[in-house]
This record gives sequence, structure tokens and C-alpha cells, in this order.
Amino acid sequence: MRRAPTWPRHAIMLAVCLLMLVPFYWVIKTSLTGENIYAWPPSIIPVNPHLFNYVDVWYLIPFPRYLLNSVIVTIMAISGNLLFNTAAGYALTKQFPGKRWIVLLLLSCMLIPFQATIIPAYLITSWLGVLNSWLGIALPMLSTIICIFIFKASFEAVPRSLIDAARVDGLSEWRIVVRILLPLSKPAIATNVILNFIWSWNAFLWPLIVVRSPDMQTLPLGLARFLSVMEDTTGALFAFVVMVLVPGLTIFLMAQKEFIRGLTSGATKG
Amino acid sequence: MTTASARSPWYQRKQTRDIALVGCFLLPSLAVFFLYRILPLGWNAMLSFQSWSPLKAAKWIGLENYEEMLLDDDVFWDALTNTLIFIGCSPIAIALALGIALLVNSDLKGAAIYRTIVFLSYPLMTVAVGIIWRWLYDVRGGFFNYVLRSTGAIDEPVKFLQSFDWALPCVIAAEFWQVLGFYMIILLTGLQSIPQHLYEAARVDGVPAHARFLRITLPLLRPSIFLCIVVGILNSFTSFDLVYVMTNGGPGHATELLITYIYKAGFGQTRFDYAAALTVVQFLLLVVLTVIANKLSGGNAGSLER
Repeated sequence: MRRAPTWPRHAIMLAVCLLMLVPFYWVIKTSLTGENIYAWPPSIIPVNPHLFNYVDVWYLIPFPRYLLNSVIVTIMAISGNLLFNTAAGYALTKQFPGKRWIVLLLLSCMLIPFQATIIPAYLITSWLGVLNSWLGIALPMLSTIICIFIFKASFEAVPRSLIDAARVDGLSEWRIVVRILLPLSKPAIATNVILNFIWSWNAFLWPLIVVRSPDMQTLPLGLARFLSVMEDTTGALFAFVVMVLVPGLTIFLMAQKEFIRGLTSGATKG
Repeated sequence: MTTASARSPWYQRKQTRDIALVGCFLLPSLAVFFLYRILPLGWNAMLSFQSWSPLKAAKWIGLENYEEMLLDDDVFWDALTNTLIFIGCSPIAIALALGIALLVNSDLKGAAIYRTIVFLSYPLMTVAVGIIWRWLYDVRGGFFNYVLRSTGAIDEPVKFLQSFDWALPCVIAAEFWQVLGFYMIILLTGLQSIPQHLYEAARVDGVPAHARFLRITLPLLRPSIFLCIVVGILNSFTSFDLVYVMTNGGPGHATELLITYIYKAGFGQTRFDYAAALTVVQFLLLVVLTVIANKLSGGNAGSLER
């Protein structure tokens, strides 16, 4: 069969990739530039490169504090999701009266974007008395409907006979989940951890609303604050950007397959 | 004791225990969704018909908030128009993503690397993306002005984000950059689910390539395209981060989206009631557009809900 040559396709894809990578390059270049970042014309390679800007970040802003807040909120969100979604996912594999309604309720909740509820969500959080706290930031992110269904699908794939055998051996329900089902659902766990990491690590609007004091700010809020205080006058801002992006990118590159599977299964299977 | 009589209370007890267990297992998740999805939606609808602020008691005022919004509030109309433009542009990104997906779906060497690079921008923190793009558009240090000026396309630097004409397209371009990879992944998943034998049969019958694309690929991709459109609609909500950092709605209200306007009305001016009315409009817009998209994609794309 006659085949078209592949080089035009490679050429297009190389051009696309180049365009996609330019923003990364430009910000890294700026963060390494030692001199005035406003110098005209901007050079393609960093002038007199050094890591001064990265050191500067530590002096200009409470970076460790932002990092601590982000890490704690992310850990809370991930552990909450693992615990609650596992439990809910397992409950949904069972037959019980009203199950259809619960599933329908969850599916319709999924169509309510969180952004459409911020005003009352703020009032509720303030009523609960957890404004300006780690719990307040993490609370709406403690359980995710998509991830419940990912766990449900994964648990349903485990052979019934295995669960029955465990039950005959006298294992309690919670132990069946922890000892039998979870070890067989590693991909679902990975998907859960990765998706929730990305969502809570990157969350901006909700923390912006809930957090009042500077020492409760997470990394995205710190970035926005840095920008509003310093404008983009210093290379340190871009060093900060690079430092904030590295964890997310690392996780993505390490677990690309689980990440993409999670997004697509979450998006298509509901 | 006969087995039959012993069995039935035992069985009943077991069943009650099972239901209690299911309840306990479901409760935490349901509590979160109740507190942060269902209750807010209802409360929000109620609030939009009231006059209320944290300092004064609630009063029913009927449709006054809506009247003010629709009749007297130019910013609302700006925000609505911008949101619609934002959503209306997403098909361009979807078409681009489809092109890329078709290219990397073929037996191209290194397709996995291309895929990774195109997708790389999606998991990034949107605030950081906003700062990066703000810098790319910068008058002096920015990439675009550098390229345009050094190639001689323009003499004077363009103030992209400060210009009424350019600000919105610039924000949309930044949003494209971030979401393109996600569209591509959705479309790739769709492409890979199309059975290969359809293409082989068409090839044997001598169907030309463009007809194969129009008659096989596009119709079978409908659910994926629908999904992309829904993501595009939802992005007009989630792009709050981007707009907040890049322009904060300015210049004037040239890049104001409904979501940024809701934030400003609610948390800037403490007009929770009015912000709630804006939220209702935004939510209805989302529902209506999703239903229309579903209809247009053949109505069978309910795979999302099913």
C-alpha cells in the first residue's frame, strides 16, 4: 500500500511542541537572568545566569510557611478522599434499598460545579467556624464523586468468591476492604492520590475566599500576593513560579499513565 | 429450636446491620456533598430573591436583584458577553486538539513524547500559568513583543493585556495553551475506541481519506467532542484563576467573566445577595448550554450522565 511520507507530520508536531514549550522556557530563562529582566531586547539565553533569584525567594516571602500550608491541606485532602471514597465506593457495591436514588443524587451533584456554590459555601464554612484554617480549606475537597465511582468500578472487578471466602473466615467488613479489596485496587488508589493532589495543590478560588490571614496562605495564594505586592519587577517572582510548578510536574511525569487514565475515566465514565 | 425460626431473626438482624454499615460508609461523603453542593445550591437560589448582608436581617424582595442585573447593570452584560465569547472560542481549541490527536494517533514514531509535551501544561497550577503568560505578553520583557519587534512586524510594543481589543483574546490564548492537552487526551481516547475494521472496509471500498474522516471518524467521535465542549463550558468557570492573575477583569471590564464578577460582587463589595443572583444566572447558562451541546451532538452523548 502506498504510504504518505511521515516527515510532514513530524514537522507539524515538532512545531506544535515547540510552541507548547516556549512559555516554560521563557519563564525558566527569566528566573535565571541575573541582571535587569526588563532589558531590551530580551536575550534568548539567560544573561550571566545564576541562582540568585531562587535564594531571593526565601528572603522576600515566607516560602516555607506557604509550602507547609499547601502540604498540610493537600495531605488532608488526599487522606480524606482515600478514606471516604473507599468507604462510599464499597458501600455502593452492595445492594440496599434506595441505592438507585443515592447513585442518581451523586451523579447530579457531579454536574454542580463547585464554583457555582461559592457564596453559600463561604457562609456555611463561616457558620462551621473553620474559616481561615487548614480544615476550612480542605473541607470541600474531602470527597470526590468521580473517585468514588472509580473505586466502585475497581471493587466490582474483584471476584465475589474471594470476598465470600474472606467473610467465611470471619473478617469484618472494614478488614475485607483494607486487606482484600484495596491491595487489588492499586491503580484506583494511584488515580485517587494523583487527581486529588493536583486539585488541592492547584486550588486557588476557594482558599482565596476562606483564608484571611497571611500565615494561612497556600502556595497559589502566595504567588498571587507576591504578584500584587511586587508586580512582576523581579526575577524572584519567576523563580517562585518555577519552584511551585516543579512538584506538580514531577508527579505528573512519574505517574503519567495513571494520571491520564484517571482524568479520562473520570471524565467519560462518570 | 428449629432452624427456620432461628434463621429469620438472624437474617433480619444481618440485614439491619448491613444497612447500618452502608449508611456509615456513605455518610462522610454524603455529608461533604450535602454541605458543599446541595445545600449551597438551594441556599444560593433562596438568597438571590432576598436582600441580605451579614449585618442586616434577610428580607424577601422577589425579583429585584434580577431586575437590577438585567436592566441596570452594564458590567453584568459585559461579563455575560465575555463568558459567552470565552465558551464560543473553545471549538477552535477543540479543532486544534483534534488535529493534533489525529497526528499522534497514527503510527508516528515518538508519538508518546509528543503527547506528553502537549499535555504537560494541563496539570500546572493555573495561577502560575497566569503569571507566565502575563510575562509573555509583557511590553518589554515579553516573548511576543520580542518576536514581533525583532521580525519587524511592529514598530511599537503592543500593550497586550492593557488594550481593550487584545486583552480578552490574550487571556483566551493562555487558556487554550493550558487546556489543549486535555482536549487532545479526551479525543485520543475516543479515536482509539473506533474499531479499525471500519477504516479497512472503507479503504477496500476505495473511500477517499477526507470522506473516511467525515463519515467514520467524526460521527463516532461525537461523545468525545461533546465531552470536550462540556469541559470548555466548565472552563469559563475555572478560568477565574487565570483572569484574576492576568488582568483581574481589566482593562475596565474587558476581560470580566461572570465568575470574576461574582467574586467581586460577593467578596469585594459584600453584596452576597446580588452575587447569588449572578450565580443563578451562571448556573442556568451552564445547564442550558450543556443541554444544547448534548442535543447538537446527536442526543446520544448521554454517556456522561449514564
